[in-house]
Order: sequence, then C-alpha cells, then structure tokens
Amino acid sequence: MARQALAGLRVVECGEMVAAAYASKLLADLGAEVIKIEPRGGDGSRRRGPFPGGQPHPERSGLYLYLNTNKRSVTLDLAQPRGRALLDRLVARADLFVHNLPPPVMDACGIAYDALAAHNPRLVMTSITPFGLSGPRRDWAATDLTLWNAGGIAYLNGSPEAPDLPPLAPFGRQAEYQGALSGTVASLGALFARLRSGRGQHVVVSIQESLAAMLELTFEYWPYQGLIPSRLGRKPIQPLDFLECRDGWIFICCVEEHQWQEFVRMIGSPEWAAIELFADRLSRGANWDALKIFLQEWASEQRVMDVYQAAQRRRIPFAPVSTMGDLLASDHLKARGFFAVLEPPGMPPVTVPGAPYKFSATPWAIRRPAPSLGQHTDEVLAEVGMSNDEIATLRAEQVI
Amino acid sequence: MGKGKGKKGHEMTLPLEGIRVADFTWVWAGPFCTLQLAHLGAEVIRIESAKRTCVTRLLPPFADGTPGPNRSGYFNQYNQGKRSLALDLKHPDAVGVAKDLVARCDVVCENFAAGVMDRMGLGYEALRQIKPDLIMIALSGYGATGPESQFVSYGPAQVPLSGMSSLTGYAGWPPMHVGISYGDPNGGMFGAAAVLAALLHRAATGEGQYIDLSQQETSVAVLAEGVLEQSLHGRQPPRDGNRDPHMAPHGVFRCAGEQRWVAIAVRDDAEWRRFATAIGRPALAEDPRYATLAARKRHEDELEALISEWTQPQPPEQVVATLQRERIPASLSMHSQDIAEDAHLAQSGFFVRLPHREVGTRLHLGIPWRMSDAECTVRRVAPCLGEHTDEVLRDVVGYGAERIAELRQRGVLT
Repeated sequence: MARQALAGLRVVECGEMVAAAYASKLLADLGAEVIKIEPRGGDGSRRRGPFPGGQPHPERSGLYLYLNTNKRSVTLDLAQPRGRALLDRLVARADLFVHNLPPPVMDACGIAYDALAAHNPRLVMTSITPFGLSGPRRDWAATDLTLWNAGGIAYLNGSPEAPDLPPLAPFGRQAEYQGALSGTVASLGALFARLRSGRGQHVVVSIQESLAAMLELTFEYWPYQGLIPSRLGRKPIQPLDFLECRDGWIFICCVEEHQWQEFVRMIGSPEWAAIELFADRLSRGANWDALKIFLQEWASEQRVMDVYQAAQRRRIPFAPVSTMGDLLASDHLKARGFFAVLEPPGMPPVTVPGAPYKFSATPWAIRRPAPSLGQHTDEVLAEVGMSNDEIATLRAEQVI
Repeated sequence: MGKGKGKKGHEMTLPLEGIRVADFTWVWAGPFCTLQLAHLGAEVIRIESAKRTCVTRLLPPFADGTPGPNRSGYFNQYNQGKRSLALDLKHPDAVGVAKDLVARCDVVCENFAAGVMDRMGLGYEALRQIKPDLIMIALSGYGATGPESQFVSYGPAQVPLSGMSSLTGYAGWPPMHVGISYGDPNGGMFGAAAVLAALLHRAATGEGQYIDLSQQETSVAVLAEGVLEQSLHGRQPPRDGNRDPHMAPHGVFRCAGEQRWVAIAVRDDAEWRRFATAIGRPALAEDPRYATLAARKRHEDELEALISEWTQPQPPEQVVATLQRERIPASLSMHSQDIAEDAHLAQSGFFVRLPHREVGTRLHLGIPWRMSDAECTVRRVAPCLGEHTDEVLRDVVGYGAERIAELRQRGVLT
C-alpha cells in the first residue's frame, strides 16, 4: 500500500484513558509506530467498555479497542526503578514520547523532560496535562467533567427555562479528546521544527486552555463589551432550535432572512408565519416562545428525513438530530466509507468511526488491531537489547 | 520576533517558520485550523473581500458595542497571527492573482461548500499544476464527496448532525446543544493535524497532496463511545445530564452566589472515602447506600441532594479548595470574567494583549501549549480587512507598484 504520512515515526505513549491514547492513535493511524506502555493491570480504558453482552473483559472493551488501533502494548511498572529504567531505554529510541500522566505522578515516577532528553536530545516529549506544569493549579486533581467546566464551555450550556439545573457538559470525554488534539498538533509541530534544528523539546499542553481557546464568540463579550454570556441568555436570532417530529428530532436553522422566507414557502405559507411579531430574525428571537408553539405543532406531523431533505433542497441548513442508529444507517456516510469494522478475537465485529480525513496520497489505515495487554513486551524489550533471561527475571519480579 | 535563546543557548525558531499558507477560509472551522498553523509560526495570509465580508466580522461582540468589520471580538480572536489580502474572487482578474500567491505558498486551506474552489478555477487539480508539491486541505460540513456533499452546513447544526445532541441533555429532557458550535473547532484541530502530517510527508518525500475533511466525520470520530454502544448493543447511551456510568458522584453543584457552580467527580471508592471525610460526613464512607459505586449509582439522587446541601451555602472557591486538598477533582464552572481574571492562566502566559489599530488593546486568549525550544506566542493581532494587501502583493507575490495600482483601479482588490 501507499506510504503513510508518518511512516517511520517512532512514538512511545504512556498514561490512561483518552488524551494520550487518542493523540497517539491519530499518529498510529497515519503510519507511526506506537509503543503503548500500560501498567500491569492494563489501561483504565480496558475497564470502561462497552463490552459485548455487557460482560467486562479487558480484551473486549470497545473504548480500548477504538483508541489503540495500530499500536503495540508493553506492560511496565513505572513506579519501580527498573521499570522506570526500561522507559528510558524505550524513549531513547523514540522520536516522540507522549503522555497524560498527572503532574504529581510524573514527579513520583521521575518522568521529566531533562532526564529523558539526556539519553536522546532529539526527543520530543509531549505532556498533556489538566492545567500545565506550572502555576497554582499544576497538581490539581481533574477529570473530563471538571476540566470542561474549568474551560468555560459548560457555563454556556443548559436551558434558560431551567436556571436551577446545572451547567451541562456534552457526552463522551470531549475535554480529553481536545487535549489529545492539541497534543497531536503541537507534537507534529515540534517534530517539524526538529527537521531544521536537529533538536527535540518539551511540549506542554493545558487541557483547560485548549477548551478556553474554543469559546466561539462568547469569551470576548467580557473584554469587548463587559458582558458575561451564560446558558440563561436568550438567543437573539431564531429559529435555531430543536423540534420534535413524528419519528425523531430535527434542528431547524434559519439564521438568514431568505432562509426563513424559503422555509415559510416550503411549509405552504401558513397564516401564522405572516404575523408581524415574526417578521424579522430579531423579532422572531424576541418572540420565540410564541413562534415555537406554531412550529412545534407543524413539526409533530412531519418525519425528520422528509423535513431535512426538503429543506436542504431549498438550501436551508437544517440538520437531523442524528441518533447513533441514523449515523450507522446513513447513505452518505456509507458512500464515504466512513465507518470501519474491528474484528477482535473472541467477540463479534464492532463498528467504529474510521478515517477523520481523507489524504489523497497517504491514506489513513488500520494495519493492526489494538493489542492485548502486554502482547509485545518481549518483542519490544528484545529490540532494545534485553536477553530472554533478563526479560524472564523482570517478569518474575513484576516489573513488566 | 521569535528568535530568543532556548535553554541550551541555541537560537530558537518557530516550528513552521518559513511555511506559508494561502488561507481561503471563513467563519470558524477553517480559521480555527489556520490559527493553529499561525500559532506554530507559519505565515498565514487570509484572502477575503469586503464584497462578501466574513460572517464573523459582522457578529457581536463588537468593541464597546459599536459594530464594524474590524471591531469584532469573534473575528479578532480566531484570526490572530494572520495577515489579510483583499481580493474579490468573483472578479475575472482575481483568480490569476490568487494563483500567483498560491505559487509561493506551501499550503492552501479552504472551507467553502464542496465544489466552490473548483468552480473558481482554484481546485486542487488546477493548483497543483502551479505548485506540484502543494498541500491543500478542504474542510467542509459533509465532505467533498457523497450524496449529501452539496448540503448546506452551519456550525450550530453540525452538533445535532453529528449525533452529539442526541447523546447530550438533562435526564428526561430532549436532545440538547453543547454551548458552542463544537464541530467547528474540533474539525479545525483535526485539519491542523492533517496539514502537519502532510508537511512531514512532504519533507520526507517531496510529495504534496489533497486532504478532504468532513466536519461531520471529525465530530463522529470523538463520539466513538456512542457508536460503540449502538454497534454492540443496538441502542445508544441514554442522556443522563452530567452523570457518568463509572463514576459517582459526578456532577455540577450549586454554590453560594449568583449562578455559581462547582463540578465534582469522584473516581473510585477510595476517593469516595476521602470525599466523605472532606465534606465532614465520615460515616458516609461505609454507609451501605454509598460505599460502592453500584450503591452510589442506585442512590444517586439522594447522593446529589446531600452534596448540594453541603455546597450551597459555601462560596465555590471554598468547595474547590476543600476537595482539592483531598486530591478530589473539583473545579469552578468558569465564565468569561472568571477566565479573564484567572491568576493561574495569567501566570502561565495564556493571555494576549496586543494593540489593534481600531479597537486598541483588548484581552485575547492565546496558545494552549508551551514549547521549551520555541517561543510560540501570538505575534500579531487579527488583521483589519485588506490591511496587508499591498505588502503581500509586493513582497510575497512580487508585483510592482503599477500592477498593484492597476488591480486596485479595476476593483480586484476589495
């Protein structure tokens, strides 16, 4: 097959769950050779699922299988000095070491750029952290939920009808994915820099900052106008909202006047649409409570796909509120070959998102499935010059 | 400019120094992609026109509430670090100018609807004739191919399209939004990663290429757990507010003050025991209603009520400090002012304060990473529309003063 974009790039990954694993998956799926270091008990994503039949099994966790395509697995106890020394040996041969160990764990295990780069001045080390490696919050405990709130996005989400319900986070560890994406972008940048400089460096990503960097038009309300946007605000322009149809939900979107007018024609120019209160988009925003009643009544008679197709034919940017079933059944996504099928041993095949981009010359590919726990420990340690006896001893002493 | 000395006394360079990007993007997704390239030191030249002013230049917040295409906080945030060339791409003479620019660029980014660049004569096949090793990325809502590739895509609609709304909402509530047009920056980040991978490939082989990025697909990529559940079990995870199947308590709790909330997550039973002590209820640690995750999930309503009882009278900072002392994840649910006035972010160098010729010096947010051998900082404010037309045409494209004047006179440079 065609050369992949990152062929020959050697990556060592360490950490837990999504942030480092997804960053190195992005690289692995584009051809990088990734060694994933797991604790002897396995990465936490092996316990996350979903599992076939709902039965937990460390080799059958959907999230683990998705995040770790194309990688090799080595088990190491980094808390032991000899385990830590093995990390040095692996990293000494790597171009990139990416991790999301919390800063206190980095300290406890002696994982620091200067120490690792001493063996390998060309090393790029990327630390994906909650709040960076300096400052008052450096050592704070964090999870996806707390970081999403620290980044300011949660505060913007909820409903003005429910001020006593909390700021609402989205599904699925998005803070961790954004940490992974920042980590990938910055790591690749550092690797590109190295082409000219010959030197590696330490890249430190703050997940909080990665999220605050994507506050759309909301953050700047404070420095530009002294205002604080929140989920309790009323949208100035409507329609831009969800309506329930007979068979699901549609998101209606008429941000421009011509889109609204086209939509009104589409639904047969009902009398209520001509009411003065709904004459322009700001007025529709101000009177949304009233307008929504009419629109919801209309929508309750419709089917989602009919509305979607009809609107799009008229260049009105409606979207279905896609369910997972809708996505898997989508003719469009099928035509694009978007989904991939993993076939792990001992379980039924499972469908997962495939290539997030299509490269014309260097395609994304799954070359090997996610590894079983420690599947490649012996092979990798032999590559760094350890003998079978040394490996056996380390295993007996539970270092690997 | 970024030429300080690194720790070992080497002269530091910026990672993408010398890389030039012809930026045809608009709104948010495309500019977010090129913003990352600017953050890494690439020279990013926006091609834009007063005849079709970029939407974000026309949206609030405006400096001091006064509208104007150079006064938009939204535009000014996501177009930091870039220059602006005014070019009316609908003018018959404009495409030649664009091609002359592309000939001197390494990367082209665009996020028009599928087919628009082709119809202007600026598609990949045309541009690679001029620059064979060109890297071109097209970010679009639905991708460059497929039955829905001609559909109209707006940022807010991407979130429900991707499935994220179906999976997000208070328990018992309908599908909800997520607070921002998340598909845009998410797609932009994937786009930046793709461009960088292509640059590395080009460095190794001399070969450029074309990248087709569908925002819908990049959004679904980060919803894998939802897809997996559907694939394995024929159903999707139900909307459950801020709760998590594997952690309890896991939510956002009211504190004293106007709309002050703290997010709290307890990751395992050992953490639960520390939590019980921290909130002054050590007996809860072994209380059979709460001692295990399964028990806490069964009694989650009562659990959340007792936690709210504890948090509500307290200022959020106090709740967070108490829990963080026990190494329990907790954070204020921050808003714009909280972020702007945050000492930690200030200390870490996240803020940008550069003078802009029309709005003066405003606080902006910078780069979410630091590099030890590169001074990645935002080095210039967002451009006024067409601010750099002359200098780009003269210094990058190599036009003489007469040619530029003529183009201007013919209405090409607006």
